[in-house]
Amino acid sequence: MRASSLFHASSFRLTLAYAGVFLVCVLVLFGVTYWFVTGYATQDEIDEIGVEYASIRDEAQLAGMDRLPAIIDDHLRLRKDVRAAYLLMDAQGRKVTGNVDAMMPFGGARMMNLPLDGEIRAVRTYGYTLPDGQFLLIGQDTSTLNEMTSLIVRAFGVGLVVTMLLALLGGALISTRVLGRIETVGRTAHAIVEGDLSQRVPLRGRGDEFDDLATGVNAMLDRIEDLMRSMRQVSNDIAHDLRTPLTRLRQRLEHAHRRAHDVDELRNALAESITQVDSILETFGALLRIAQIEAGGRASPPSAVDVSKLLAGIVEDFSPAAEDHGQRIVADIEPGLKLSADRELLTQMIVNLVDNAIRHSPSGTEICVQGKFLNGAFELAVADSGPGIPPHERENVLRPFYRLEASRTTAGSGLGLSLVAAIAKRHDAKLSLADNGPGLRVAVLFPLAA
Amino acid sequence: MRILVVEDDAETAAYLVGGLEEEGYSVSRAGNGRDGLFLATTENFDLLIIDRMLPELDGLTLVKTLRAGRIETSVLFLTTMAGIDDRVTGLNAGGDDYLVKPFAFAELLARVKALSRRPRGTSSETHFKVADLELDLLKRVVKRGGREIPLQPREFRLLEYLMRHAGEVVTRTMLLDNVWNYHFDPRTNVVESHLSRLRTKIDKGHSPELIHTVRGAGYCLRARE
Repeated sequence: MRASSLFHASSFRLTLAYAGVFLVCVLVLFGVTYWFVTGYATQDEIDEIGVEYASIRDEAQLAGMDRLPAIIDDHLRLRKDVRAAYLLMDAQGRKVTGNVDAMMPFGGARMMNLPLDGEIRAVRTYGYTLPDGQFLLIGQDTSTLNEMTSLIVRAFGVGLVVTMLLALLGGALISTRVLGRIETVGRTAHAIVEGDLSQRVPLRGRGDEFDDLATGVNAMLDRIEDLMRSMRQVSNDIAHDLRTPLTRLRQRLEHAHRRAHDVDELRNALAESITQVDSILETFGALLRIAQIEAGGRASPPSAVDVSKLLAGIVEDFSPAAEDHGQRIVADIEPGLKLSADRELLTQMIVNLVDNAIRHSPSGTEICVQGKFLNGAFELAVADSGPGIPPHERENVLRPFYRLEASRTTAGSGLGLSLVAAIAKRHDAKLSLADNGPGLRVAVLFPLAA
Repeated sequence: MRILVVEDDAETAAYLVGGLEEEGYSVSRAGNGRDGLFLATTENFDLLIIDRMLPELDGLTLVKTLRAGRIETSVLFLTTMAGIDDRVTGLNAGGDDYLVKPFAFAELLARVKALSRRPRGTSSETHFKVADLELDLLKRVVKRGGREIPLQPREFRLLEYLMRHAGEVVTRTMLLDNVWNYHFDPRTNVVESHLSRLRTKIDKGHSPELIHTVRGAGYCLRARE
C-alpha cells in the first residue's frame, strides 16, 4: 500500500467522523428545542382554554344560567381574532349557540379539525358537561403553534446544512493538516529505510504533541545513528587492529620459514610468534568480555560490596608494583562505603584504572585512589600527577582500540578504558575524565540507590 | 597416575594427550560427555580434564552427575567460555579448577600437578615446613632458621600458597586466581613485585634460596635446585 493512499483514506474517514459528530450535536439541539417549545405552547393553549371556561362560568353564575348563550356570543365576538371555537348544546344534543356545528358530547381534551373562518383548521378543544346537562365546547386554533414548530424545523434544517458544510470543510482541513504532519514522520522513516540515516523529522517549533513526537523520533534516530557509527567504528577497528598484528605474525613466520638456519633460530621465532598470538587472543578475550558486560545478563545478582575495603586492598596490592616503577600510591578513602555491585567487575574496573595510571605515568608520579560520598552519590576516582590527557582527546580514549600517540609503543590492547566504561554503564555509574592539574583524574560516580 | 581427558575436538585432545603422556602420565580419552561419564564411573582415575562444551552430555552436567554419585575424583574444567559467570558455575558444579582456552601447556601442567598430588578437599594442615622455613597458619607466624620474619598480609597468603604447593610449579595465573582472587590479568606486574619482596624477606642472608623462578612457567618453592 502506498503511503499517500493510506493518508487519503484516513483523511476521508476522519472528516466523515468529524461531520458525524456535528450532525449528532445539531440533531440533539434540535430535539431539545422542539420538545421544550411545543411543550410550552401546548400547555399555554390548554391553560387559555381553562381560563376561558372559568370566566364564562363565573359570568353565568353572576347573570343566571339562562344568560349563558348571550355570554358565549360575547366571548365569540371578542375573541374572533384568535380564532376561538365555541359550541353550546342543550341536554337533548341540540345546538344552542356557537360557531361550530353540533357534535357528540365528550369530556376532556381532544384535537379536532373544525371549519373556522371558512377553512378547516386544527383546533385544540375541551369538552365540559355543565351541571344542568348542557354541553359546552371551547376550542383554540393551533395553527400558530404549528407555524412556530414548522419554523423551528426549517431553521434547524438550514442550520444543519450549513453546519454540515462547515464540519466537512473543517474536518477536511484539520485532518489534512494533522495527517500531513504524520505523513512527514512517515516520509522520514521511508527515507531512512532507503538508506539516508541523516534524515530527521522537521519541527514546527510550537511545542505541541507533534513536536514532542518528532523530538522523540529524532532522539531515537540520533541514538541509532550513534550506535551504527560506533559499530562501524568498532568493526573497522577490529579489522585494523587485528589485521596489523596478524600481518606482523605472518611476516615473522614467513621470515623464519625462509631464513632460519638452525633449530634454535626457529625455536626463537616460534616462541615470539606464540607471544604475539597470545596478545591477539587477549584482545579477542577483552572484546568478548566488553560485549558480554554490555549485553548484561549476568547470572549472579549484585551483592553488597564493602568498597572501602576493596579499594584499600587494591592500593595494597599495587603499591609494590608502583614502587618498582618509582611511583607512589596513596589512598584517600572514606570508611564504610557500601555499594550494591558486582564485586568482580568492580574490582576489575578499579584495577584497570590503577593499571592505566601506573603504566602511563613516569616515575615520580603520585597516584591517588579516592572513594568518597558526594551529594547522595558515591565517587570512586583514580587521580595521577602524570602527563594527563589533552581535553580534546578525553572523549576519544573511551573508544575501543583508541590509543594516544604517546602510548602507541606501550603494550596494551587499547581496550582497558572501554572495559571500564562498560562496567560503569552496567552499574548506572557515570564515568568522567578530568584534568588533575597536572595529570589525569578518572572518576566514576555511582548513584546510591537502595 | 591416570588422567581422563574428555574433549570432543580431536586436535586439542591429541595435543593434551600427547603432552601429558610425554610428562609420564597415563592418559585415556573420551570424545563425548556420555563416554566420559561411563569411563569416569567404571575406571579409576586420579584426575579428570573435562571440556565444558561436549556433545551428548555437557561437561557441567557430567561433573554434577559424578558428584551426585559420590565420585570425588578431582576435575579440571577446560573451556572457551571466558564469561564472567562461567568460572563460578563450573566450580559450583563440583569442578576443582578452571582453565580458559587458549592456554599454555605449562599452565595446564602446573594445574594438573597441583590437583593430582593430593585427594580432593584435604588441606587441613596448619603448619608447613620447607628446609628451615616454617609457616604457622594459626599463629600467623613465619620463621626462617628460628627467626621470625614479619610479612604483610598479602605476602603471608602468597607464601602460604607457595608452601602448600612446595616442590610444584605455580603459575602467575594460579597465584592471581588463588592469592589475589583476580580472575583477570592485570597488566601491572602485581605478582612479580610481591614475589620479589617476599623473596628478599625470605631468602636474603639465608642459604639455600627457596623461591625459584621457573622460566616460561612460573615459580616454585623448594629446598634444592
